[in-house]
Amino acid sequence: MSPMITIAKREFRSYFDSPIAYIVICLSFFALGVMFFFMNGGFWQLDRASVARLFETAPIGLSFLVVPVVTMRLLAEERRSGTLEMLITLPVKDSDVVIGKYLGALGLVLVLLLSTLAYPIVMFWKPWNLGPIDGGPVASGYFGMVLFSCAAVAVGLLISALTESQAVAFFITFFVLGALWLFGDLAGKAGGTLALVLNYVSFQSRLNNFWRGLVDSRDVIFFLSVTVVSLMVAFRALERRKWA
Amino acid sequence: MATDVMIQANGLTKRFGVVRALDKVNFEVKRGEVVGFLGPNGAGKSTTMRILTCFISPSTGSATVNSHDVFDNPLEVRRSIGYLPQRAPLYTDMTVWEYLKFAAEIRGLSESDFKKRLKKVVEVCGLAQSLGKDISTLSHGYRQRVGLGQALIHDPPILILDEPTSDLDPNEKAEVLRYIKEIGKDRTILLSTHNLGEVEEACARAIIVSKGRVVADGPLDEIRGKTGRVRYVVTIDEQRAEAGNKPPAAAQAQEALQRLGGVKTVRELPTDEKAHKFELNGAQDSDIRAEIYRLAVAKGWTLLELRRDAQSLDAVFRDLTRGDEKLDRGANWSAANAEDEDEDDKSSADDEDDSDEDDEEEEEVDAKSKGKS
Repeated sequence: MSPMITIAKREFRSYFDSPIAYIVICLSFFALGVMFFFMNGGFWQLDRASVARLFETAPIGLSFLVVPVVTMRLLAEERRSGTLEMLITLPVKDSDVVIGKYLGALGLVLVLLLSTLAYPIVMFWKPWNLGPIDGGPVASGYFGMVLFSCAAVAVGLLISALTESQAVAFFITFFVLGALWLFGDLAGKAGGTLALVLNYVSFQSRLNNFWRGLVDSRDVIFFLSVTVVSLMVAFRALERRKWA
Repeated sequence: MATDVMIQANGLTKRFGVVRALDKVNFEVKRGEVVGFLGPNGAGKSTTMRILTCFISPSTGSATVNSHDVFDNPLEVRRSIGYLPQRAPLYTDMTVWEYLKFAAEIRGLSESDFKKRLKKVVEVCGLAQSLGKDISTLSHGYRQRVGLGQALIHDPPILILDEPTSDLDPNEKAEVLRYIKEIGKDRTILLSTHNLGEVEEACARAIIVSKGRVVADGPLDEIRGKTGRVRYVVTIDEQRAEAGNKPPAAAQAQEALQRLGGVKTVRELPTDEKAHKFELNGAQDSDIRAEIYRLAVAKGWTLLELRRDAQSLDAVFRDLTRGDEKLDRGANWSAANAEDEDEDDKSSADDEDDSDEDDEEEEEVDAKSKGKS
């Protein structure tokens, strides 16, 4: 097995060896339920069987809670405790470390996403069949969320690579991802060029199309670029130890 | 290329900002040698080891490990070595078995190889009882053992151990040193520590670094010889004497000892016993214990204690690094500070603080002059 996969596996497992995975999963499901059923008038008032609300609310939880918590320790904790030295002096490339850790964290987030499939399943299949499912937007919505998660986890990993403190990593990730999300709301209030710029960088605006069943290659490329650039910068940040 | 040189450092220099952590460090370690890498804290031991394991890069200079260059071939270098960083940082959320398995997987050991090696490692490191335990529940000594275990799991030809005995209690220390001796029979080991006693126990050769420079490199006896002075402690009963002689007064005894050949200074030491206790400084390579004994017999003194001290590492360092600094600072400084030499640790610690600051200034001057040339 390649070192990268070994590292990813260890990272993924370690979430379940500590309470963190369970806390994150429970809390985020609770929050998702509250937001899904009660936020903005609530599910019942809308009087329409749709999981669109899921796609609107889940990324908020991911941005503000799940991704910062999951990624804060990735490299920051390894640096602080010195285990990074132990890991890197094994015959692994720096890129194996970065990508392995990335995949481990992304794995946990994807598990979480996968379990939200419970919503469409109970609504449109069993035990309640509320009508025919509108497959297109659900598929594109999930596709968008996966892309969003890839980008958000990469940003979180990058920030974790820049600091030795988990708390600092958490708050900076929280603010960066939060800002990238809220820029979408801000763009509605601003006008002109500013709105264009804000819409361009906002994760929320980018996800909008996916909710409506529209997979735009520009959005796909945007999320993938954020992912790749963040991972490359994280790799550089890790390599910097050699020269600093 | 078949060669007996397993580790070679060529002019390794490492700068952290203006601080020069390593300054043109050169040394070689041959196949089968167990070498102690000695130095006070901050001397550059860990920095050197991190360069050799390709964790950081030198500012200038080069190094090869098992004939692989640390710049060009870091993965091959890391495959050839087992490394135990300072304080054995392990993933505390894993069990011992999981951790060793993890290290083996990353090193690409097959399942059957892992089983074979695990058996051996468990035996050498004494881990049989703790394989299933969480690393977070282990004592520091056991964590060191696990760290040593992961360094040995792939049967490397070279081991690099950074302070494997620090923070251990005396029993654990002895145990770890026993392992090192055991595994050092067929391996090349570079082992850092700031305790001369440990080096004496496990190594035949030592490299001493101070302030980023190699100040001594050779067999232990040779290094000890470099330090110059030999110290004796003599205690004489002040109430009783042998064969009808009178017990001596302190001044008489001191004078008599002073007259012995080879004695440089005699100083009375405080003692709780009803006795006179003296400290004698003799010349290098001399042993005047026999003369002291004969003097005591001739005078009819009751000799309670007579001992020749091995030089403490502190003294070794002070002596070795003083010379270095004298060169740096010129004669004025050494004259002004000569009287400090025999004072207690505190003053020498203060001393070092001063010298650190000065070093940095020199550093800048150095950099400037280099820039010009």
